[in-house]
Amino acid sequence: MEKIVKEYGNKVRLVIKFYPYKYRDFARISAEAALAASDQGKFWEMHGLLIRKSPQLDRSSLIGYAKQIGLDVQKFTLSLDAHKNAGIIERDLKLALELDLFNTPTFFINGRKVIGNVPFAYLKKIIEEELNAKKK
Amino acid sequence: MKKALFILFISLFLGQASAETKRFTIPLEGSPSLGPQDALVTIVEFIDYQ
Repeated sequence: MEKIVKEYGNKVRLVIKFYPYKYRDFARISAEAALAASDQGKFWEMHGLLIRKSPQLDRSSLIGYAKQIGLDVQKFTLSLDAHKNAGIIERDLKLALELDLFNTPTFFINGRKVIGNVPFAYLKKIIEEELNAKKK
Repeated sequence: MKKALFILFISLFLGQASAETKRFTIPLEGSPSLGPQDALVTIVEFIDYQ
């Protein structure tokens, strides 16, 4: 996804919302890890790593990833264990519920809903449609 | 008959694959974001890392 955004230069913005599935052991703690990294200014580094390493997302793996991207590991671990960013995750979960979402990933491209792991080419097609609509 | 079923199947499949034309408004403040705030296209991704 980040690749797509960079490809379009300043025309496209990507915003991440968290929708950890409650019956998966490490879904929630991974979202906490992404936000803990965000607090240290390294959200995208951690985000990319979590996607690549999934499903290896247990607590000690996450701490290893924090080390790997050069975070203050002590601060990171404290944040993880205290569920420091639970408020943001709860807010996003509430939003997902209001929007009747049941699948991840779900995308909204200028508000248009696209559900599931669709091919990048398909996402690009929608992005192009939106860019063309803006030109008119 | 077979042909009709085939067309029905294909149209259902395509229908599922196409993005809705309905537009949802999603609050974006306080979420991690990449790219300019005034970008022409904004993609919101709901993600589960696991």
